[in-house]
Amino acid sequence: MTESADWIRYEVEEGVGILYLAGAWRLSSLPAISAALQSLALQVPRGCVLDGSRLQELDTAAGFTLYRHLAGLGCSESTVSVRGFAPRHERLLALVQERMTCPPSAAKSTHAGMVGRVGASTVAIWRQLKSHNAFIGAVALEFLALARRPRSFRFKETVSQFETICLDAIPIAALVTFLIGVVIAYLLGIQALRYGANIFVVDGVGLAICRELSPLLVAVIVAGRSGAAFTAQIGTMKVQDEIDAISTLGLSPLQVLVIPRLMALLVALPLLVFVGDVAGIAGGMTIAAVQLDISFATFIDRLHATLPMSAFKVGMIKAPVFAAFIAVIACRMGLLVARDARSVGLNTTSTVVQCVVWVILLDAVFAVLFERMGI
Amino acid sequence: MDTVTPRPQAAQESATVLEVDSIVTRFGATVVHDGVSFSVRRGEVVALIGGSGTGKSVLVREIIGLMRPTAGTIRLLDTDVWGEGRDDMNLLRRRFGMLFQDGALFSSLTVAENLAVPFREHTGLPPELVSALVGFKLSLVGLPPQTGMKMPAELSGGMRKRVALARALALEPEILFLDEPTSGLDPIGARAFDSMVRVLSEGLGLTVFIVTHDLDTLLSIIDRVIVLAGGKVIADGPVDEVRRLDDPWIRDYFSARAPDARRK
Repeated sequence: MTESADWIRYEVEEGVGILYLAGAWRLSSLPAISAALQSLALQVPRGCVLDGSRLQELDTAAGFTLYRHLAGLGCSESTVSVRGFAPRHERLLALVQERMTCPPSAAKSTHAGMVGRVGASTVAIWRQLKSHNAFIGAVALEFLALARRPRSFRFKETVSQFETICLDAIPIAALVTFLIGVVIAYLLGIQALRYGANIFVVDGVGLAICRELSPLLVAVIVAGRSGAAFTAQIGTMKVQDEIDAISTLGLSPLQVLVIPRLMALLVALPLLVFVGDVAGIAGGMTIAAVQLDISFATFIDRLHATLPMSAFKVGMIKAPVFAAFIAVIACRMGLLVARDARSVGLNTTSTVVQCVVWVILLDAVFAVLFERMGI
Repeated sequence: MDTVTPRPQAAQESATVLEVDSIVTRFGATVVHDGVSFSVRRGEVVALIGGSGTGKSVLVREIIGLMRPTAGTIRLLDTDVWGEGRDDMNLLRRRFGMLFQDGALFSSLTVAENLAVPFREHTGLPPELVSALVGFKLSLVGLPPQTGMKMPAELSGGMRKRVALARALALEPEILFLDEPTSGLDPIGARAFDSMVRVLSEGLGLTVFIVTHDLDTLLSIIDRVIVLAGGKVIADGPVDEVRRLDDPWIRDYFSARAPDARRK
């Protein structure tokens, strides 16, 4: 017996081609069965008879493979007949034949090339910007409605959001800005030591921390921490139809979900930036004392004399603007979540990226703006 | 190749494929199952019913090896589910299919990729044959081949269940578990799903174990019904026998549709 004869044998009896199937035709043996069919080199344009009297087992995958092969040879439903099958197998073959009239789904999802992909994401950014505009309008209208009916403001929700956004973030914000203060003071100190200009390190640390680094870093931390949380929370609610439930109860999702988060963040971010200012200066002060022989008292004295109040104010002005962008983007992305788990993850990632990009972009705009204004 | 000798058809059909023996399940102080025993023979379509919170879904999760019962043994396809090593369990997992309540399709993959997962993981078939088989499985559950390119999120509830059923059927299981297959479907879709399950179970010689609340499913496609209440099996038999039993819950359950049933 040849190998193919283990599974299938072709004989011509009284002018009719008969295919004898044998063995256990199961999914696990499909590669061998496939090979056996290929090696058989059948010529059955006028049709054939399938004989199942030697068949032990049959499943749909094997039945489908057989019929697909026969169809490829030009056999149709009317030219293939069956005989000798167990009733169970005959029912199965009938089912397979009935359901395989549809052509198989060979089309694969198209995969864009590199240029196409970059182009697609550029267009996506543009679309997103346009839809953000509409959302900002909707939130503004909601604020107008709130001004008319101040009692609908959700004070409790706002306070609880404030607690998670601000109080829980204080340790991490303080730690990061402290370390940045250490790094700035250390690097400036190395240069300053060469010229005996130790005391100017105080000026540099105070200005850099208050004006640039604390607002920027704290905003990035908050974008990663609270921005991601907003999107994930609102997105999960969207997946579970909770947003629709809020609307159905006659409440506005913007009023219930977005405005408390926005208000809480507007208050929380300046406070966190202040914490960052203090921690950053403390970091600089520590290094100044260790490396540059500047005592704490001298440091604070010098800081008091040289750090302009405007540097602190600039940081404080930036903070609420960053906060507004982070809150609006995060809530927007949450509400944009589609009805599946994957999109919660995608939108959360997108929120963090968008927020960080916007924070840096705004920081650049502020730098130019304040320079022009002579601050 | 398997060394399967052709057994007499009758003997094969009546063999026990699932045997649940005095299962006890406790969550802390709450006793969910207090000695549940029943068995299922090859080729049967069996329904498990019971009120909310009687542990129907828990029992199915215990049978398919997702959750360990507090006590008792479960033999599925001649394998002790909670007594054997991981390897045996992995072999066993290829021999049954499970349809979860909401389909549990992988949301990051297209429908076709979802169906290809079991083939890719458990068979060494060439990609061309896998994609042909995926198309065939889709039409087996009555879906057009274009469905393959869609994402699960774009499908209606009924289509999700069909796709999930196709995925459960991918590796030619011997026994199929369905958890509330018709919940969330409209009556027409639910009946269509029922008749499809029946056609497949007859055509493929499948054993089907259905957890359901749906009285119409029960009255149309079920060979045998098992009623779970108070942590025990209170009834086990053909639908017509069970509905005549004198138990308050069973009476309430079947009388929920009494006017319609009487019309028949």
